Amino acid sequence: MKRAASLPARVLWNAFYWTYERATWQYDLMVIAILAFVWLTPPDWLNDPMASGCGPLGWVLAQLR
Amino acid sequence: MTFTGLVGRVFMLPLRLIINTCVRLRIHPNTLTFIGVLINIAAAWALALGKFVTAGLIMVVANIFDFIDGKVAVELGEVSQFGGFWDSVIDRFSDLSLFIGLIYLYSQLGRTDYVMITALAMMFAIMTSYTRARAESIIKKCKVGFMERPERIVLFMIGAFTNRMAAVMWVILVLSVFTVADRIILTYRELRDARQVAA
Repeated sequence: MKRAASLPARVLWNAFYWTYERATWQYDLMVIAILAFVWLTPPDWLNDPMASGCGPLGWVLAQLR
Repeated sequence: MTFTGLVGRVFMLPLRLIINTCVRLRIHPNTLTFIGVLINIAAAWALALGKFVTAGLIMVVANIFDFIDGKVAVELGEVSQFGGFWDSVIDRFSDLSLFIGLIYLYSQLGRTDYVMITALAMMFAIMTSYTRARAESIIKKCKVGFMERPERIVLFMIGAFTNRMAAVMWVILVLSVFTVADRIILTYRELRDARQVAA
């Protein structure tokens, strides 16, 4: 699969089939993506039972509207 | 040095002091492991009551015990097969108790959707450990997939301290599903390759 696949497909496959160690740049990128999802996604979008509001991302979107 | 490597080094400084203290006091590593699960149950209780910051603080203490038991075992020369087994079993209890605390909270709030999401995250978190343990009884090593126990624990703490537990449950669920799939794929490939070499 790796030889024939395009770059985006390879990136997606490597993110899914995770073989990287901790403290590598790939690990750092994954951590950043996870933290961005956790902190930026508005709790309302996820119907969070314990948190409410639009969060930082919702605030930015509201400013753009 | 990577960012996560730097964070690891910074946190290792106070942990080193605690490890040295435990070694000086000659506290048995299996005792540390057991104290860890008891504190984790207290964290689960706090989660069940919806006191996330308290739960986060208790989790920090509990996971110090979880983290240092292996290092203390090495320094005291008390490394044993039973110690490894005990640690793995107790870790599963710790994992399960945190999830059960959240499931209790969401059921009290009448949120069946998050009861299901948390229950599925719990199932795949346990399957992550099981697939590796079972795979390593038939192949040499099965260490693939992102969402292992340290990642889960750090995410639990982040969710508790910043009140973003719902997002954390989604992340744990999705990445645990991927991790279990990764381990099944690796084991299948390793066994297929071994069969081809033998043939």
